[in-house]
Amino acid sequence: MWKNSSLCCVLALAILCLTSLICSQEIGSPGEPQNLKCIMHNLHKMICTWDVSSKGRYGQTDFCYTTREKRVEIPVSESSITVSITTNSIYGAAFGTKKFAIHKKDISFVPLTPHILSLTPDFSTSTLNLKWSDNGSVFPYGLDAFWQIEILRKETMEKVTQVTYHSKLTHENTILSWNWTSDMPLECTSHYAKIRCYINVTDFVGHKDWSDWSPVEKVLGKDTEPNGSGVFPQDTVVAVGSDVTICCVHAEDQQIKRMTYGPEIYPLIHLSSRSSAIRVINASASDTSGTNVVCTLSQDEMDGTVLFVGYAPDTPQNLSCETSNFLIIKCTWKPGRPSGLYGKRRTKYSLLERISGKNVSCEVNEMNRERVCGFPVLADQKTYSFTLGVSNPIGQTESSLLVDLTQRVHPKTPEKLTVSGNSSTNVHLHWYINGSFTEIRLLCQIEISSGHSEQKLHNVSMPGGKFSTYTAQLNALHPYTKYQFRVRCSAADHFWRWSDWSRVEEHTTLEAPPARGPDVWRERSPSGRSLKIFWKPLTLSEANGKIVSHEVSCYLLDTLLEYKEVTEPSNSTEIKLGKNDCVISIVAKNHAGSSPPSKITSVELPSDNVKTERAVALGNGIYISWSSYPNVTCGYIVKWCHSSGSEPCSVDWQKFPSNTTDAVMKSALFRPGVRYNFSLYGCKSSGYQLLKNITGYMKELPPKRAPNFTVEETSSDSILVKWEDIPVEDCQGFLEGYRLSFAKGEKDALKPRLSESGNPELKVKNITDLTKKSLRILDLQGKTSYQLDLQAYTAGGVSPPNSLYVVTKEDCKIKDTFYPEIPNPENSKALQFQKNICEGNKTLKTLEMNPCTPNSVEVVETQSAAPKIEDTEMMSPAADTTVPEDGSDSENENHVVVSYCPPIIEEEISNPSMDEPVGSSQVVYIDIQSMYQPQIKAEEEPEIDLVTTAGYKPQMQLPISALKIESRSATEEESDKTAGYRPQANTNAWNMDTPDSPGSVESSNENASFGSPCSINSRQFLIPPKDDEDSPKPTNTGWSFTHFFQNKPND
Amino acid sequence: MKFVPAGVFPFVALLLLHRRLVAGRALLVNSPSTGCPINSLCRSNVHEQTRKQVALLNATAQDLFSLYLKCQGEPFSSETDKLCNPNGVYFPTFRVNRTSEKEVMVAMYKLFAFLNASLGNITRDQEELNPTAKELLDRLHNTTKTTRGLISNLTCLLCKNYNIFQVDVSYGESSKGKSAFKKKQQGCQVLRKYVQVISQAARILLPHLSPA
Repeated sequence: MWKNSSLCCVLALAILCLTSLICSQEIGSPGEPQNLKCIMHNLHKMICTWDVSSKGRYGQTDFCYTTREKRVEIPVSESSITVSITTNSIYGAAFGTKKFAIHKKDISFVPLTPHILSLTPDFSTSTLNLKWSDNGSVFPYGLDAFWQIEILRKETMEKVTQVTYHSKLTHENTILSWNWTSDMPLECTSHYAKIRCYINVTDFVGHKDWSDWSPVEKVLGKDTEPNGSGVFPQDTVVAVGSDVTICCVHAEDQQIKRMTYGPEIYPLIHLSSRSSAIRVINASASDTSGTNVVCTLSQDEMDGTVLFVGYAPDTPQNLSCETSNFLIIKCTWKPGRPSGLYGKRRTKYSLLERISGKNVSCEVNEMNRERVCGFPVLADQKTYSFTLGVSNPIGQTESSLLVDLTQRVHPKTPEKLTVSGNSSTNVHLHWYINGSFTEIRLLCQIEISSGHSEQKLHNVSMPGGKFSTYTAQLNALHPYTKYQFRVRCSAADHFWRWSDWSRVEEHTTLEAPPARGPDVWRERSPSGRSLKIFWKPLTLSEANGKIVSHEVSCYLLDTLLEYKEVTEPSNSTEIKLGKNDCVISIVAKNHAGSSPPSKITSVELPSDNVKTERAVALGNGIYISWSSYPNVTCGYIVKWCHSSGSEPCSVDWQKFPSNTTDAVMKSALFRPGVRYNFSLYGCKSSGYQLLKNITGYMKELPPKRAPNFTVEETSSDSILVKWEDIPVEDCQGFLEGYRLSFAKGEKDALKPRLSESGNPELKVKNITDLTKKSLRILDLQGKTSYQLDLQAYTAGGVSPPNSLYVVTKEDCKIKDTFYPEIPNPENSKALQFQKNICEGNKTLKTLEMNPCTPNSVEVVETQSAAPKIEDTEMMSPAADTTVPEDGSDSENENHVVVSYCPPIIEEEISNPSMDEPVGSSQVVYIDIQSMYQPQIKAEEEPEIDLVTTAGYKPQMQLPISALKIESRSATEEESDKTAGYRPQANTNAWNMDTPDSPGSVESSNENASFGSPCSINSRQFLIPPKDDEDSPKPTNTGWSFTHFFQNKPND
Repeated sequence: MKFVPAGVFPFVALLLLHRRLVAGRALLVNSPSTGCPINSLCRSNVHEQTRKQVALLNATAQDLFSLYLKCQGEPFSSETDKLCNPNGVYFPTFRVNRTSEKEVMVAMYKLFAFLNASLGNITRDQEELNPTAKELLDRLHNTTKTTRGLISNLTCLLCKNYNIFQVDVSYGESSKGKSAFKKKQQGCQVLRKYVQVISQAARILLPHLSPA
């Protein structure tokens, strides 16, 4: 058995002698032992090993231990020891001895190599379980042991992970276990494990080291099985965001073409000749049926697996438990975020009651948002401590709730509600609740509804019963009323939730006598011999039943003068009193009895000087007010009459207390635009007295139509119009005035209204004096068609217009009379005048005479785009335009300077009172209009008509109003004659009859216009038309236009 | 007449059993006669009813298959030919060139008995995998109901016309216990084959059932 070459010839026996020496000597002679090393595997013995020199002698001298190995186990001593090793020959001759001193620090501690007891795979979870013994029986209790475990993978044994596992030694041999979950399914390829240990012997002073690695244990992958194939893992559930490795194991003769995860192709990771994998990073949530992973092999074969990626269950929210019957506790909650996992991977719930230890599994419908789980009510248990456990393959959570069941009562809907009663004010209600409520009191709420009163709630508390019928009585109901009742209940002492309402049950109470007498008014007939009595029907709540008749009695003191029973539906009657007065008593009757009587006296006190006032329209009512009358002691009555078509108006009234001084009258019968007349009566101890009349509208509207108007008179520069009153029913409000708009315009059906035409020459006259029924429009152009629109207005707006077209008359001859040629000594031969100037050269601004020495005259032409309302009294609220306060329109005036040669007037001024002529040429010009039209005094009409003041201006500025009302006094007219420019002819001699004949509207005799002075705005009148020779002429022949044209060629 | 491929479990289907399953579809109108226990269940319009049922199945098969593919996720829709190749699964043979009406009726019975069972498996699997796919589940339920009615009517016809009241039926491999992917794939394979075969059945059955 000794075949070693160095020892085959000699049998060396090493003899170790241990002596108690403190130190050792080392002798280096041949054959001597050397390099002694001592190692401990436990704390009891050490193992010493040494070498022997090849030249050693053989023999044996002394020994303590004899061994044929160069190794010996020596009990561990507490102190240092000396070891003497002698090497002997097989014959016993010692040929080498050496002594070693062994100190504690020289000894190494190396634990024994651990042995793996088992390495078990769990393929479903890709987990390896490693088991080994800690061999702790040889060590003292409590030592720290460290276990280094290494996991290797694939045929090449690539290290996957290395972990250190810590344990405490217990002086017993303990089986230790360690689990490791692989990031790759274990089927994909082979996995290996090995282990070593390190024991931290704290009081050991020598060198401590790791044990050797254990032998490798392995778990073979499917790729090592002859028929192993498939895609792994199978049907695995992972959390959203996980990194997942999926492998495809196939037969040896196949190749993987591709692997897809859902629709995506992933790069392959080679594992072995029969296995490859893909790595999915941060997996997103799957569809309901999971995400397919498909491995396509050569020959287009396919294999696959499904990966279910979802979420761990969310913590249940709003966990709430209640009972409806004290038999079952119903717990509800909201599941929170869906897990995305269904079927057998769905989230599962269980309800644990900790006090009783009872646990129930909850069958929940995944499709419902709110989950429900039932738990039986336990006998003699009032408080429940619930824990709702939630789990799915990814994780688990829970939610807890502690409830006192008596405080979580949600009764079921009351059933079988019935109503009984044989009274006008009381009923009994009965209902049934399915449940046992003997532990608590119930609070039930009865909803009482009727058609003519507000909904009421009546609470009633009662002891709970066991599947009982409950009863409640309702009092103070209204007679003859159809009621709807319904009931709901809750716990009385600790309210939690109301039950649902029961179905509605109807009941009608019986009739009772009317609660009060009717509201009464009376009126004497115009003859005074009979009295008409009116009463208002009682409301449903007052009638207490169906009113069948009214009893009307008339008493004079205690004597009944007359009695009548008036059946429904009449609400008035008439009794003949003659000149007598009486007290009228009215009683309403129904099937249950009569009302208290209502009384009113027929006495009407005389009234003096009754005034009529206006009420204020509020839009939704009519505001009336009155002074406080001291003698009125029993209130005020406002009476009015509703008229509906041809029938006599129906009397209505309203009573007010004595301290009232105003009221807003409202009625569903009031209509906008209708005038109502109210009579205010005061109730005095001796009778009723009419105090005043009030008229008004609920809402004022624009008049329905404009007043009819006609043209009374037309001249070459004015039109006189007259209009009629509008009937009250057409006014629809209190009339505030009229608007007369006018502008040049031919009749044209397509023309818009004047106010909408945008005509810059539109002028508007606002007439606020409602007594005025005519208006003369002045300063018009001759032989010109005008459109006139007349409108009426109220506070509610302006009526539609009535329109007329009028053509003013023509009269240019008058120029010859009023503006005779005034010779200019310097320019006597230079008079040049354009012929036929009336026929329309509108560019000609004024008369030009050349040569002459021009004076500058400023001609102002008004070119205002907006119509002007010429009124100084009152502006209509609905007026389209406004006039500046100063009456001027200077900003819009166009100033044109033209040459003008002032005529020289040789005759004396006809009005000697004009003592201060104005003008640089020493000529006094008298207003041409003053000849024909009486002028309004400057004090009365301080604003100058802008139209009339535009253009040519006489040098003598006089205030002139274009608006001349026909009703002006003759005195004013007379005084006006003395002012302004005066014609140089004797105008008294003129025959005015013919020119002033009224012009017809739209007359065909348009060219017949004559007589009125032309507007000084226009210069056309200065040249008479050729065909106007037949026109009447003034009788004064002293001066004419013919003289003016005398020096012109061709004339 | 007995066809039992490898891996397929043979069953003897008693027509009486089908009568119980589809009671109400085929009504009792005559007293039972000897031999065939349920020939009296046939109603006068059973031919017409059968034809309409086959026509209805044929009309709805493709939509059912398309919806099934859509609900299984990719790549079932894009790789239908490879994933749903029906060669790997059992399906009753249904040859067009059968000679006798009797053979056609028996083959038809085997076909719809198989389909009825397979549709039951598919419905069960989809209720687990796709509980939210209401339309798919409704279609599967409706198709199964129609198939049951059809089996009832075929039972009547076989009894009444040929006095056949016992037919061996193979139901194929159950998907129970298989992986989700295999369940999806097997359903896909069966339905794809169903689409093909039901159109053949419609072409064959309708002339046979048409009144002469």
